[in-house]
Amino acid sequence: MINETLVLSARALKKWIRNPAAVVPGLVTSIFYIALFGSSFNPTNLIPSGSVGTQTILQQSFGGAPTYITYLTAGVICLILVFNMAFGGIDLVLDRQLGFLSTLLTAPIPRAAIFLSGVVQNLVKAMFLAFLTFIIALAIPNGLELPSSFGALDFVGVFLAFALLGLGLSSVFTAIALSVRSIDSLIAIVNFMTLPLIFMSNALFPSTSFPDWLKAIANVNPISKTNEAARLLIINGNLSSSQLSTFTGDMLYLLGFVVVFGLIGYFAARKALSAQ
Amino acid sequence: MTKMIEAENLTKIYNGKVKAVDHISFSIEEGEVFGLLGPNGAGKTTTIKMLNTLAAITEGKAFVNGHDVQKEPGAVRDSIGVVPQELTADDELKGIENITLAANLHHVKGSDARKRSQELLRLVDLEAAADRKVKTYSGGMRRRLQLAMGLVHMPKVLFLDEPTLGLDIQTRKKMWDYIGQLNRERGLTVFMTTHYLEEADSLCKRIAIVDKGVIKVSGSPAELKQKLGGDILTLELADSPVDLTEFFKGIPDVSEVTKTGQVYRIKLPRTEKALPIIVEGVIKKNMQIKEISFTKPTLDQVFLEVTGKSMRDEDASESDSVIQNFMMEKAR
Repeated sequence: MINETLVLSARALKKWIRNPAAVVPGLVTSIFYIALFGSSFNPTNLIPSGSVGTQTILQQSFGGAPTYITYLTAGVICLILVFNMAFGGIDLVLDRQLGFLSTLLTAPIPRAAIFLSGVVQNLVKAMFLAFLTFIIALAIPNGLELPSSFGALDFVGVFLAFALLGLGLSSVFTAIALSVRSIDSLIAIVNFMTLPLIFMSNALFPSTSFPDWLKAIANVNPISKTNEAARLLIINGNLSSSQLSTFTGDMLYLLGFVVVFGLIGYFAARKALSAQ
Repeated sequence: MTKMIEAENLTKIYNGKVKAVDHISFSIEEGEVFGLLGPNGAGKTTTIKMLNTLAAITEGKAFVNGHDVQKEPGAVRDSIGVVPQELTADDELKGIENITLAANLHHVKGSDARKRSQELLRLVDLEAAADRKVKTYSGGMRRRLQLAMGLVHMPKVLFLDEPTLGLDIQTRKKMWDYIGQLNRERGLTVFMTTHYLEEADSLCKRIAIVDKGVIKVSGSPAELKQKLGGDILTLELADSPVDLTEFFKGIPDVSEVTKTGQVYRIKLPRTEKALPIIVEGVIKKNMQIKEISFTKPTLDQVFLEVTGKSMRDEDASESDSVIQNFMMEKAR
């Protein structure tokens, strides 16, 4: 199964690499969110210039981030992951429409390999964009400011959180893409899912300011857990024991998310790929 | 001989109401080329889809290479190669990459995969285009590539669903040559559907004509044509008051004689035996033959008799499907 998964993922990634333009829309979205949204919707802009309240707000509501973009970066990366996972399924729908999927279904390969290759190809593409987004955030003026203690392990921790979120999301969206018959249906479904997923999380603003009902949803949203884990490392570098405990809890939560939604995705995909 | 494909009361009902295939039974022996003919919507593709594990069987049983299609789908997939009606090769990959991918997905790896891929590309005359992306291929090249992709793992059974649809006559002829060669040299069992009756006639050892999900008639092309009553000899004599109808009817092997003016239409199951007797008889009666011709029965006539429509009508409606395929190609 691993071999077939790798063969199919390599096929999709080969096509992706040969078409550099394919990363441009994702990259542009990153730049717009980090540079434009991060600058224009910066909540600290509302505080009169020179006011001492700026640092207080950042400290109290934005986890002590030195700038709003430092806070926002993890959220934008989550947004990039969500949108790329959701719309990455278009390639899978095209594979069905053009008959390539039928060719796979008559080959002696496990159905799980078809599902897993969909998950892997979307994850690799989205993680590459996530990395570029991180670099963009670091590169722009008044952008992402990492603490001096931020090291390679912290970087790995941040991207592990993103990878876990990506894996869970990719499982769900791959299963949806394998289940629908047209691109229109896929777009209708994912549009219904992506924006609520983002807005009902702490991706763009802290959930502390949300109404209680929204806060309750945001607190169990895996995007919020990812942001919390990533921001702890991005803002603090070295974690205190209580921060480490929160970080570990978030990562375990994300692991559970991957296992549960990975299994749901697998069974849904297996049903969609069975002889009808 | 080993039975390579067996279908017993094979039935497919879509959504609990549309009966696409209705209790059909047939068996195909190892090394046989079997053709399934029928009008659009007759159930040809659905039959192939049930046999190659793509569509669930509603009722009945099917075995491929001795494996139960429903109980051992994995073993069936190991035994088969499928060349679908759609052009499914990946446009963005090169020819060699497509065929190597097909090899890898059938557990042919490394140098074996490369060697077989190159051999097959040579067989289908695509060696020179192997390193070009498939989006630069013509329709005929794509079909040839797909044939190679279906063969790269040396399957026991090859399913060909309209393998020459939309191709010009030269390319069609080439495809027939490849398929015939593979059948002769490798003993490959071939199950094909086609709209081209001359294709079925020249390639298939046996054919079955299916209509509305039911097999109407099956046998070798020669047998089916024989059932129509044989060749038709048209004989025009110079003006003569003598009526030779009874004379012709008295010749063994003549099954039917009709006369219009001086033109006799004589049905002969075996032309080679009856023709010399007819000609000799006319000469002995001192009568002059003005014109003589004979036509062999065609599969189109068989098709017409069985389904009530000519394959030519089908070809006309088929053009819609060709246009659709063309649009799909453009959309890629």
